[in-house]
Amino acid sequence: MSAEETEAAWNRLTLSPDQFRRASSRYRRRRGSAAYLFILPYFIPFLAFLVVPVFWSIWLSFNKGGILDSPHFVGLQNWREIAGDTELTGSIKNTAIYAVEAILLVFTLALLLALLLNRYRKGSNVFKLALYVPLLAPAVLVGLIWQFVTNYDFGLFNLILTSLGFGRVNIFGNGTLALLTIVFAEVWRGLGFWTLYFLASLQSVPEELLDAARVDGAKGVQRFRRVTIPMLRPMLLFAAVIAIIANFQVFDTVYVLTQGGPYQSTSTLVWFIWKRLFQFQQTGQGYAAAVLLLGIILVLTAISFWLLGSRRRHERAA
Amino acid sequence: MAAPGAALDDFGGAEAHADYAGAARRNRGFRAGKSVASYLVLVLFALIAVGPFVYLLSPSLRQSYELFTYPPQWIPHTVYWGNFGRVLHETSYYRWGLNTFIFATAVTLITLVLDTLAGYAFARLRFAGRTALFALVISTLMIPTAAIIAPLYIMISRLPAWTHAGVNTYLGLILPMVCSPLGVFMMRQFISTLPEGLVEAARLDGASEFQIFRRIVLPLIKPAIVVLGIFTFMMQWVNFLWPLVITTTDSMKTLTVGVASLQGQFVTDWGVISAAAVMTMAPVIVVFLIFQRWFVQASMAGALKQ
Repeated sequence: MSAEETEAAWNRLTLSPDQFRRASSRYRRRRGSAAYLFILPYFIPFLAFLVVPVFWSIWLSFNKGGILDSPHFVGLQNWREIAGDTELTGSIKNTAIYAVEAILLVFTLALLLALLLNRYRKGSNVFKLALYVPLLAPAVLVGLIWQFVTNYDFGLFNLILTSLGFGRVNIFGNGTLALLTIVFAEVWRGLGFWTLYFLASLQSVPEELLDAARVDGAKGVQRFRRVTIPMLRPMLLFAAVIAIIANFQVFDTVYVLTQGGPYQSTSTLVWFIWKRLFQFQQTGQGYAAAVLLLGIILVLTAISFWLLGSRRRHERAA
Repeated sequence: MAAPGAALDDFGGAEAHADYAGAARRNRGFRAGKSVASYLVLVLFALIAVGPFVYLLSPSLRQSYELFTYPPQWIPHTVYWGNFGRVLHETSYYRWGLNTFIFATAVTLITLVLDTLAGYAFARLRFAGRTALFALVISTLMIPTAAIIAPLYIMISRLPAWTHAGVNTYLGLILPMVCSPLGVFMMRQFISTLPEGLVEAARLDGASEFQIFRRIVLPLIKPAIVVLGIFTFMMQWVNFLWPLVITTTDSMKTLTVGVASLQGQFVTDWGVISAAAVMTMAPVIVVFLIFQRWFVQASMAGALKQ
């Protein structure tokens, strides 16, 4: 190709500044509108079934009726009613107790199992698989399966007690025990997930740090307390908030195991909401409690984002 | 422990050496004991995890009244298949299974289409309001169904007849579950990791945005699609609250709602319940064993990608 030909070709390709401006804005406009076509299919159901219902939910909390008939505005009445409702305060208390017990138990066990799986790799896949299996079961089924352990007449637990010569225990007649049963059902289901989660976290602790501590003469327990735990702390905190959010929504196991009883001692926040909305048709109180749940979850979400942010800042500083 | 040994070689005489050998022997014994104990703990928890499913076989293969005999007869003298027959013939079990399959599959397919499209736009396209819209998606990440269940129910139950959505319809069951913010978030994160040059090169070659998405991006994000697909399917397969509220007739129930309704329908028949539970879990466990690697990734994706 001669020099003239090359230059001619080049001139054909290059645009004057004016042409370039026009072409690029046309290009960007086309790309921009294409982007809206990409997000539109998601945003229609997203707005309709998530964003609008949030505001609708808040508005409903100032109304009564609405499920079977049309809603009518009652101002702050629902909020005044639930403020003095001992069943609601009890439900929140139960949910909090349940969440704390379940999380402490499942985190302790999962951390222990993760440490063991991290240390003893031989055959660890089989254990991981086995621990994962309960996660496949819907919580409803977990609850039903748990009946075969806790039932007064034929539950495994009572059979063991009788064979050891003790009397039977009516687990669902005792509030504390009934709540503990729901805790155990959740711990059983969640253990595999948290074990794998902590295992992944443990494997992200830099080996060099542990080696350095070993060279400095730190024993196993010391290494765990002084190196592993501080390295895991941000992840543990984040996991705890996520777990609180998940556990605050406990409902399925309550539905099949206790129906909130005995004497509402296992009534949880979502159980309260569902019962008022769809069983008792006391919709106003159900609406207000749902907004309360929304508020609790949003605060917890904000905390989890803040924790994530501080972890990022921390990592960047390090 | 090589380091102390080396130190002893430098300083110590034979006496120190013997001390060290003894300590090492004791240490080895201690460590062997520790590893045996550790494996025992692991075996114990593996048994606790799997045991209840195996134990469930026992009542499912016995007459219900045999549950109440003492001492318990774990392994039945004669295997009784009647419980499974009753689940299949006296309940709408087939229908519940079909409903669950339709519900979970539809939600999964729709979610995959919507979330990959939106995820791609948030990861790779520039448009006005991108940051604000993505922030909106993220802020709804944790909103529980229970908190918005009243408006969802009111909305679906009041839809006009021509939409074919309402209480006791598939559309009513499916639609409110298709807008998972987590899926968009996961897809955006994953697509962001793809090399930007690929998309730019296709763009210079004159490909339209949709062609780029279809020909370049989609083939590269197959693993993420599988992970999000399994995750979404599992979320709906275990879903209980929404199907419980939006289905009232027996023929529209999903498996979770249907099996829960077996409790106390007649006088609770535990043989039938255990048979239904076995039938429900067995196929899932088989599928899990075949695709285990993907399952574990899917369940971690929700937590770790963040």
